[in-house]
Amino acid sequence: MLRYFLSRLLRAVLTIVAVVTFAFVVLRLSGDPALLIMSVDAPPEAVEAFRAAWGLDRPVWEQYLRYFVQVAQGNLGQSMRDGRPALTVVMERVPETLALTLPAFAMKLLIGIPAGIYAALNRNRLADRLTMVISVAGFTVPSFVLALILVLIFAVNLGWLPSGGAESWRHAILPVITLGLSGAAILARFTRSAMLEVLGQPYIRAASAKGLPWRRVVTDHALPNAAIPTVTIIGFMVGSLVAGAVVVESVFSWPGVGRLLVVAVSNRDLAIVQTILLLVAMTMVCANLIVDMLYGWIDPRLRTARAAGG
Amino acid sequence: MSPQNVATVTLPAPPEAERGRSAVTRFLEAWPPAVLLALVWIAGMLVVALFADSLAPYSFTALDLRARLSPPVFMGGDWRHVLGSDELGRDVLSRLIVSIRMSALIAFGATIISAVLGTSLGLLAAHFRGRIEQVVLALVDFQASMPFLIIALSVLAFFGNALPLFIALMGFHGWERYARISRGLTIAANEQGYANAVRQLGAGPARIYGLHVLPNIASTLIVTMTLTFPEIILLESGLSFLGLGVQPPMTSLGNMVGYGREYITRAPWIMLSPAATIVLTTLSISLVGDWLRDRLDPTLR
Amino acid sequence: MSTLLSARGLARHYAVRTGLFGRRASLRAVDGVSFDVPPARTLALVGESGCGKTTTAKLVLGLIPPTAGTVTFEGEALPRPNTVAWREARQRMQMIYQDPLGALDRRLSVLRQVAEPLEIHQVGTKAERRERALALLDAVGLQPHLAGRYPHELSGGQRQRVVLARALILEPALIVADEPVSALDVSIQAQVLNLFEDLQARFGVAFLFISHDLKVVRQVAHDVAVMYLGRIVEQGAPEALFREPVHPYTRALVSAIPVVRRRAGRERIVLEGDPPNPIAVPSGCAFHPRCPVAVAACRSETPALKTLPDGRLVACHLAHGDAAMRKAA
Repeated sequence: MLRYFLSRLLRAVLTIVAVVTFAFVVLRLSGDPALLIMSVDAPPEAVEAFRAAWGLDRPVWEQYLRYFVQVAQGNLGQSMRDGRPALTVVMERVPETLALTLPAFAMKLLIGIPAGIYAALNRNRLADRLTMVISVAGFTVPSFVLALILVLIFAVNLGWLPSGGAESWRHAILPVITLGLSGAAILARFTRSAMLEVLGQPYIRAASAKGLPWRRVVTDHALPNAAIPTVTIIGFMVGSLVAGAVVVESVFSWPGVGRLLVVAVSNRDLAIVQTILLLVAMTMVCANLIVDMLYGWIDPRLRTARAAGG
Repeated sequence: MSPQNVATVTLPAPPEAERGRSAVTRFLEAWPPAVLLALVWIAGMLVVALFADSLAPYSFTALDLRARLSPPVFMGGDWRHVLGSDELGRDVLSRLIVSIRMSALIAFGATIISAVLGTSLGLLAAHFRGRIEQVVLALVDFQASMPFLIIALSVLAFFGNALPLFIALMGFHGWERYARISRGLTIAANEQGYANAVRQLGAGPARIYGLHVLPNIASTLIVTMTLTFPEIILLESGLSFLGLGVQPPMTSLGNMVGYGREYITRAPWIMLSPAATIVLTTLSISLVGDWLRDRLDPTLR
Repeated sequence: MSTLLSARGLARHYAVRTGLFGRRASLRAVDGVSFDVPPARTLALVGESGCGKTTTAKLVLGLIPPTAGTVTFEGEALPRPNTVAWREARQRMQMIYQDPLGALDRRLSVLRQVAEPLEIHQVGTKAERRERALALLDAVGLQPHLAGRYPHELSGGQRQRVVLARALILEPALIVADEPVSALDVSIQAQVLNLFEDLQARFGVAFLFISHDLKVVRQVAHDVAVMYLGRIVEQGAPEALFREPVHPYTRALVSAIPVVRRRAGRERIVLEGDPPNPIAVPSGCAFHPRCPVAVAACRSETPALKTLPDGRLVACHLAHGDAAMRKAA
């Protein structure tokens, strides 16, 4: 179990190193950061001073190491727009994004998982077909289209809810529903197939053949086993709590991390972009790590040390 | 009671109609109506994409200032602008046709890049094993553990935007799936299957992979393509919607929706037709993909 | 008698780890095996799964390099795997598999696959290759109308005939057959085994025949080697070996062959325990923990493979020592 934990931790660290390397490489490939970050008409001596300050006159490998040290210290540069540290700018947007993604996450779980289980238990009946049609629609309707349709209905035609902004909790309703619905559709589809796979296994037939009531077969045997693959997709959803709202925040003018990212990309505010990139990577890696730990807890095959090599 | 009697009683009128109906039923089982409709829609989209220039009634940039924001026919407009016009009087139908071509170009280009890249890396990993395989698997892990939208946005921020770069960037979506599949199947084939047998006959890698392995795993790869294709359309339209994908004066479906969003109260038709096109196209390809998967490769989930 | 294939002290060890951070250990899949295969003869390697038969086959074909020892084929050492010389050598040595369906490409017709070795080694024109392939199909007893079929349209026995035809088309000197009939129905097994004998007479090919099944071996082999945990424990002519097995392990295997009427004195010997883990091979004679007649020396000293008066080779302290003890068992 400890061995399993350590190997996962190693992988997590490797992923972070990969992301930092990725950021460093694209940053270097995209041109001279001095010229990108300084304004075009900056005096040459200012550019030189900037280069010296950032170590751009050193060999590449040294820059790479320095970059790691800076990232580790949380020194990710300044936002081009107001000169404040990029980390501060990004972190103050995080609560705004969580205000959307956390309720949406709850909505995904509360709708998606029960719907998937219900559909699987009533396979090929009307309820199943209906759930699947809605779920396919949830996958094929892009979130910006869903968002605009909701705006068209509830803001433009009915006038019940505001179409954008972040002044009150009422402004959060449409973005949360947009995020929650599409996520719930994906989760329902996934839960259903995980359940169907488990229900087809011989041990389910054995459990019901020995006379266990069907309700207990489902709760004692099917659900715990179907939970194992479902946890993976939930982990991915947790990991995207910070970044999952890029499009929706933009549609509803919600001042979160996602909208900040879009604005930063349009303005080529590289410090902000790399900060968000690293933040997303950190959350993804942490979420994956938690999922792996959960696996170790849910899946008894991993609890024994012998399976740890796999 | 003689057997003949029984026969005449239990065999009423050779079921000619019955057989005819069962042929229809069998046809519908093999080709469900939803899949047929989806195929028709996809074919329509391909025709539109290929013949966009001759199909578009106007140039997609032509202004008709006397007919600005004119509604489509079904909302009380006239036949000059069947799907209405936008704020500058540009014909929505013409723009839609050109957008379909652009979105199809990007989706096809990116899907091919992704499939070729992923499959090659998967084959390399399976052929050499060892270090090379570890590197490929680490890349796969990296790609699978980051939301691609964020990677795409970072690259766009760092490199700026041009159409070839944008297509190449979209081509990085989903390559890890081809890599995983081709690696897994090739290792299986190398270990005890036909590929090992052919290698043992003295064949070189070109023959083993080109003539044996690739044709054998092609159906699985094609099914994977039908799964990533709609995702690329959604990704492209999402980025274009945000103004970070296809740049004006060029136009794509997501671009049109993004532009139409400004006029959602006054002229919702500007965004509705491209939005509907996106949804119907991705839905059709997903349906066909699921159907293909069930027919060609039941092992792939 | 000249030899076609000669293996001397062949060994293949694998470094294995128990778990990601586990201790390194050495798996001795094959541990010092020597044998000769003369031209147009059949040597059978027999043993339980995991005894190293298949690894030996791969070593002999040069598919994997040995950890120690040498393989000499037609008087020359084997080239390194996947080199040009190795690919050229395939024309002289071929392989047949347990699962013929897996060994055939399901997307190509039978004729195409039988002709493929000629294509690979650029022998003849297209028409000549086709003619040759048809002739080979006939030689393995397949009707010409099957030539256009695909592997999944054939029966198991027919598929193995296709694989045989493909292996024979280059007229190799040696064919290594790894459990070639194990996946077939018993009724088909005999037909395919007869075919092996016919083809040997006709093409003068030598076989290294690998099987876990002694009664299959009895029909085709000129020489039988019994393997246990990576070593040969007994080797000799099949008649002698089956009539009077010397090594306790061979005796157990022979006693397990079903016979119509069991003669008195031929009790069925049932071995205790599982085949031991090849990572932790027992000291001394590897068979001693399961051996019904083991003595103290078996625990400490590894018996060498030595020749008995009747010419067969046995690796057992008791066989070479006290004959009375042997009878007592």
